[in-house]
Amino acid sequence: MSVNPMAYEAQFFGFTPQTCMLRVYIAFQDYLFEMMLVVESVILKKLDGFPDCKISPFQIRKSTEKFLLFMKEHFDKLFSKMEEVLLQLVLNIPKNVLLPEDKVHEQYPYSKEQFQALQDEIHQLQKQYRAEASAGQALRAELEEQKAVRAELEKILQWFDGLESICREHGTCNFKESFAFLTQNAKKLQGVLKDVEEKSKKIKKHDQLL
Amino acid sequence: AGGDGGPPAPAAPGRAQVFSTVVDTFLEKLVAAGSYQRFANCYRCFYKLQPEMTRSIYDQFISQLQTSIKEEIQEVKNEGNLEVLFNSLDKIVEEAKNQEEPAWRPSGIPEEDVRSAMVPYLLKHRSYLRKVLKEKEEENRKVAESVLAGRDRIAELQQLIQARKHAWQ
Repeated sequence: MSVNPMAYEAQFFGFTPQTCMLRVYIAFQDYLFEMMLVVESVILKKLDGFPDCKISPFQIRKSTEKFLLFMKEHFDKLFSKMEEVLLQLVLNIPKNVLLPEDKVHEQYPYSKEQFQALQDEIHQLQKQYRAEASAGQALRAELEEQKAVRAELEKILQWFDGLESICREHGTCNFKESFAFLTQNAKKLQGVLKDVEEKSKKIKKHDQLL
Repeated sequence: AGGDGGPPAPAAPGRAQVFSTVVDTFLEKLVAAGSYQRFANCYRCFYKLQPEMTRSIYDQFISQLQTSIKEEIQEVKNEGNLEVLFNSLDKIVEEAKNQEEPAWRPSGIPEEDVRSAMVPYLLKHRSYLRKVLKEKEEENRKVAESVLAGRDRIAELQQLIQARKHAWQ
């Protein structure tokens, strides 16, 4: 005979039904014994008031035992019936009943594979998010750099425009051309200087060889 | 008991009712078994000596026994909060009355059982991640547009500067 541990009931009630029944049985039995002892002691005390009577404490004890034995038999039988009813009808959860706290198991019966797939999907999403986040950081960093570069370039542009407006102010519209002519000549002079240098080097070498 | 005035009271008695009835029946039958006749018969000698006393002792015994038993039951009900639990269980059973299949029970293997408990959280987490990922992608798209526009602008400025430079050559 297999013993039903009634674990699901214990989950609900916070105690095992059988333990509860046992506790109650022991308590009831204790009261019965206690009451019988009280009855016996009361009777014995009353007997003290009748010193002539021929009733011995031993006889009283025998009577008590007789009554107690009888009571105990009926007590056990009746309690057993009560326990059966309580365990079947009151302290039990029918097989088709799911406790509300366990609803998720009905709603999401995920197998190991399905669960793993869900976890994998989440890891993937986290990776993607991290990638997007660092991409965003890089983009914003470039935006900052661009700001600085743009500022520099605009400064240069402004400088050029400033030069232009100075020319206009002093009415030397040819200033640009003469400046350009000057830079050209300076370059030509540099070229000529270089030629002269090279030629003189050659002459010196020629002299040395001689 | 019942009587919330709305839907009709259930035909079957609730667990609390059955509990009380069963305990009362137990007591009744126990008292019936331990009748006065039986008591007096066991204590025959004392009964012959003091019949009234015997009766009074018996009455007290029975009354005290019943009181103790009822008190114990009440204590058990209070400690276990049984009234509330019984009513709650009645409701749960009533709601499941159309379920014919045996319901889920703990498998005894925590790793297996905890999976389903975690699923709702994981699902929530997944939808959250999907949402923020989408937002981040959208955000980055806009920033990328700005970056590209910025590059164009810088190229433009560089061209303008080159043009000025050439004008001054």
